[in-house]
Amino acid sequence: MRIFVAGLRKMVGRPASFVSVALLVGLLGLILLASATVGQQDDSPRGRAAAQALLTFPGAYDIILSFLFGLGGLVAVIYGAAIAGSEWSWGTLKNAVARGESRARYMLGTFGAIVVMVAVGLALSFGLGVLLALLAATIAGVSTSGVSDPDTLARLPAMAARGWFAVVEQAALGYAIATLARSQLAGIGAGIAFYFGEGFATIFLPDIIKYMPFAVARASVATEGSSGRFGGGAGAVAALPADTALVLVGVWLVGALAVTVLFTERAEITG
Amino acid sequence: MREAAEGSRGFDQTSRYRPRYALMVPTTGLALVTRGLRKSYGARRALDGLDLTVPTGVVYGFLGPNGAGKTTTMRLLTGLLHPDAGSIELLGQPFSRGDRTRLFEVGALVESPSFYPYLSGRQNLRVLAAAGAPVPDGRIEDLLELVGLGDRAKDKVSGYSLGMKQRLGIAGALLSDPRLLLLDEPANGLDPAGIVAMRETLRRLAGEGKTVFVSSHLLAEVRVLADVVGIIAAGKLVREGTLDSMLRDQGVVRVRIPRASESQARALLERLATVDAATGTGDEDAWFAVHVEPSRAGDVNRLLAESHIYASALESGTDLEDLFLQLTSGGEPSGEGGFGRIASPANGPDAEA
Repeated sequence: MRIFVAGLRKMVGRPASFVSVALLVGLLGLILLASATVGQQDDSPRGRAAAQALLTFPGAYDIILSFLFGLGGLVAVIYGAAIAGSEWSWGTLKNAVARGESRARYMLGTFGAIVVMVAVGLALSFGLGVLLALLAATIAGVSTSGVSDPDTLARLPAMAARGWFAVVEQAALGYAIATLARSQLAGIGAGIAFYFGEGFATIFLPDIIKYMPFAVARASVATEGSSGRFGGGAGAVAALPADTALVLVGVWLVGALAVTVLFTERAEITG
Repeated sequence: MREAAEGSRGFDQTSRYRPRYALMVPTTGLALVTRGLRKSYGARRALDGLDLTVPTGVVYGFLGPNGAGKTTTMRLLTGLLHPDAGSIELLGQPFSRGDRTRLFEVGALVESPSFYPYLSGRQNLRVLAAAGAPVPDGRIEDLLELVGLGDRAKDKVSGYSLGMKQRLGIAGALLSDPRLLLLDEPANGLDPAGIVAMRETLRRLAGEGKTVFVSSHLLAEVRVLADVVGIIAAGKLVREGTLDSMLRDQGVVRVRIPRASESQARALLERLATVDAATGTGDEDAWFAVHVEPSRAGDVNRLLAESHIYASALESGTDLEDLFLQLTSGGEPSGEGGFGRIASPANGPDAEA
């Protein structure tokens, strides 16, 4: 518990935490405001309608969540890699181990803090995203009456929970990759390469890649009309059913953490 | 400006720091023992059967040239590395892969101090305190005062000088009021006032019954700080003991006598102790090195004078530097980063030609 709380303390003060949320909200805001401009000024009625559809609630909820769970996955990979990698690069893991701390508990406790930070970051980004969508809708002259659609509001918590779980899995992958790399920069680089590499590989090996960690994460949060829209690569190709994918997300999450713990337990800390 | 002000500050000797958390420690016995400790990195052997014996309640200076195995030893003692062979005992208990809780009573500063650069000094200590043994309330503030960082505790570590980071590292090592303190080059980056204050703090801790194990290549620092010294070279302990006994055992008296009396003098001196071959060429006086305690220089002189051989010069004594060089490299600088010697043009082959 002490490691978990200390982990939260470290992450709350870390600029990467704010930058991650700012990046997500900033890009989402740009998309929404651009849509508002197009929806207001486009000469073609079809273009205007398409742009306005993005801003129309309750459908805008799906757009926002799809964006957060898609690009958010990539940000989570980078964030997880940054947290784990810096423990090696900065030598702070060394400090904890030299004080007699359990390596496994240290890594799991720190990851527990990441899980909470991901939840807070997604909630914050979602809240700000909804506000930006409302603003954009107002600018575009689109009705916002659907914002309180009871059916959508009822299924939002389940959608959010699935998405959070998928993003946490992707953070765990970044965490494991950086642990294996024992470096912040190498971990981030390898995490990004793995993320996009898997997306590209879908073109050639769709039947295999659909079981891979980022593909199952995308598939687990796919809703009608939103599947893979903001993910990295061909998310909609040969995707697994969402519930099956969710189970595999859990398997990959546990696997990534097991690799992290086993590697850290056995590692010789020389940095 | 603030940095400059910090630079002149030492550890605060009048702080609120008290040994409030001190355990009842024995003043006899061994705090640290290693036997046959071996560690290789690939084909390179870093430690080759290291046997250390560190008594309780002393400052132990662990000396060695670069690459001798000091940092590897520190990493093994703190569980960062696992030995290929050999055993470690910390505070009277065996220490191996599964015994991490032994480190609850050990404080360590291994290599350069490591912190989260975006957190303040105080926050870094709080985060560190969450790992390992519990740290009592108020301890962090006491330690910040002790190391002279009380007024900079709120500043981010990224803005700290090397000396300030070193102070914070020492505070981190003292968090759990350890019975055994392992410090790797603790004087690194400290200004002279900081070094003096750190030395006093470490001496005081040893006076309270704690054991301080200091790895260093700074001979002068070890000489004034350590009660017991271990010298490591090429992964092996080549000498261990009190400084006085080492210097005494390694002592030498050098005497200069006329070349004409060389053989007679040698015969006389060899009755007293081992004598090295005479140095000096041609008609120059001969220098003999007689391996006796420096305090027996008078005996050497008297022995020669009684046989009407009068020394024209007498030198005695051994300093730690001589001893270190003798033990670690046969008198030649060596180790990982040994400097080569560049022949002077006047003495080189070209000059002769």
